[in-house]
Amino acid sequence: MTASILDGIVLGFQFGLLAAGLTLVYGLGGVLHLAYGQMAVISAMVVLYTLDAGVPVVPAVGIGLIAGGLLGLILDLTILRPVYRLQGEARVLLSLLLTLGVAFVVDGFLNWRYPLVGLSLHVGGGPVDLLGVPMRRGSLVASGITLASFLMLFGFLRGTALGRAVRSVIEDEEGARLVGIDPRRMLRIILVMSGLLAAIVAVTRSMVAPVTVTAGFSITVFALIVTVVGGLGSVSGALLAGIILGVVNSIAASYIGTFLSLIILLAAAALTIVLRPAGLLGVRE
Amino acid sequence: MLEVRGVSAGYQGNDVVHDVSFNVDDGEAVMIIGSNGAGKTTLFRTMCGLLPSSAGEVSFQGNDLTGMATHQLVRLGLGFVPAERHLFPRMTVKEHLALGAYPSRPDSDTMNVVLDVFPRLAERRSQRAGTMSGGEQQMLAMARALMARPRLLVLDEPTTGLAPKLAHEAYEALDTMRREGLTILVAEQQVPLAMAFSDRGYVLEDGVISIEGTSEALAADPRVRSAYLGIA
Repeated sequence: MTASILDGIVLGFQFGLLAAGLTLVYGLGGVLHLAYGQMAVISAMVVLYTLDAGVPVVPAVGIGLIAGGLLGLILDLTILRPVYRLQGEARVLLSLLLTLGVAFVVDGFLNWRYPLVGLSLHVGGGPVDLLGVPMRRGSLVASGITLASFLMLFGFLRGTALGRAVRSVIEDEEGARLVGIDPRRMLRIILVMSGLLAAIVAVTRSMVAPVTVTAGFSITVFALIVTVVGGLGSVSGALLAGIILGVVNSIAASYIGTFLSLIILLAAAALTIVLRPAGLLGVRE
Repeated sequence: MLEVRGVSAGYQGNDVVHDVSFNVDDGEAVMIIGSNGAGKTTLFRTMCGLLPSSAGEVSFQGNDLTGMATHQLVRLGLGFVPAERHLFPRMTVKEHLALGAYPSRPDSDTMNVVLDVFPRLAERRSQRAGTMSGGEQQMLAMARALMARPRLLVLDEPTTGLAPKLAHEAYEALDTMRREGLTILVAEQQVPLAMAFSDRGYVLEDGVISIEGTSEALAADPRVRSAYLGIA
């Protein structure tokens, strides 16, 4: 049981970070970013082929993270341009359709050009004892990086003037305009950050299990479930929901079976929405 | 300082405001009075770049504001406090004041001046806006706008939803700011309060300016007295 819970927490940190990117993009700009998982996969592939070219692992990961951020910027400058001209529900729907299109194109291309490829980063050394459970070193390093990323994200949002400006747009876009903030610019910054977060998740995930070219959609689906449970626009909600769902998923997988864990995850999400329509830490409109 | 010439605006091609012209000079306090639905909010939102205009132009200190985005106007020195306030519910008083100064760092002189005008906010620095009363929220909305050190402060019905005592306090705060040299334009339904405060005024009826004059002249005008002051 302890082992399942610890595994669940490792997974939960990653779920949480994944959802943080999605929830910020949605909370800030009303953009539902369904090519999110593909951003993670492309970053993983960039790391893989940089490693193959003989680059050492740390700079290779760095290049992967830069690639993730660039993907966010490219999306913002191209496909999302027409989306920003719309408001409200129309914006959500167009962003959903266009990013879904991007996801299909990326998935199709990767499957055709690089089938059966996956990134696995091996963290050396034997297992480490944690609460009587032998934990793989990769899981611990991955969790350390994920937690550090979370702390940096919180530090940015809470402790910097730019982070405060980003939060103000999530709270009230018109209010933000009235203090001289350009919401469009904040959205661009957040899209770059979401790409970076997707890349961090891809890299840390690959220390625990391989990240394959086909993983894009399942990453997006997990991120969506966690986002909805945590509350749209809430980063701390994303972390909390990530940990809870990570543990639920891991316990369900080891006691009931992997084939049912996604259904149990969805049931947990549905239950949350019934009990708290705005999510765990979401704002009530 | 502010010059509005022949502005028409509205929603989805239906103009609510028709060919409106008025001006505000440096150091003045000007009111626009009118009943609910007369077009005051539409006029102000158009002026501040939150709604497109269908005709006319707005200039502020020699800058043409037509087609300019709201966040740019703020940096030119035009502060706007909307009737719905648009505060950030989960953020504290302190964070609102810091954001008010965006993109500059909030300087402590301005902060002290603003907190002198609104001493109640100083006591509640760490309180979140969403948990404050209507009166406190109105004070916070004004304080946030003042942090940008505007030249002109535009307020849309600052007394909306406030008890008479708090409405009075809001105007006292405006009076204090005026003495510090701020130019103020206010739209108001609570006409007696605005009239006591302002130098000049315009009456907006069905989207058209029907009467204009000094506050004394307006207070003496029989049409204004019967329609807005409740005196037959």
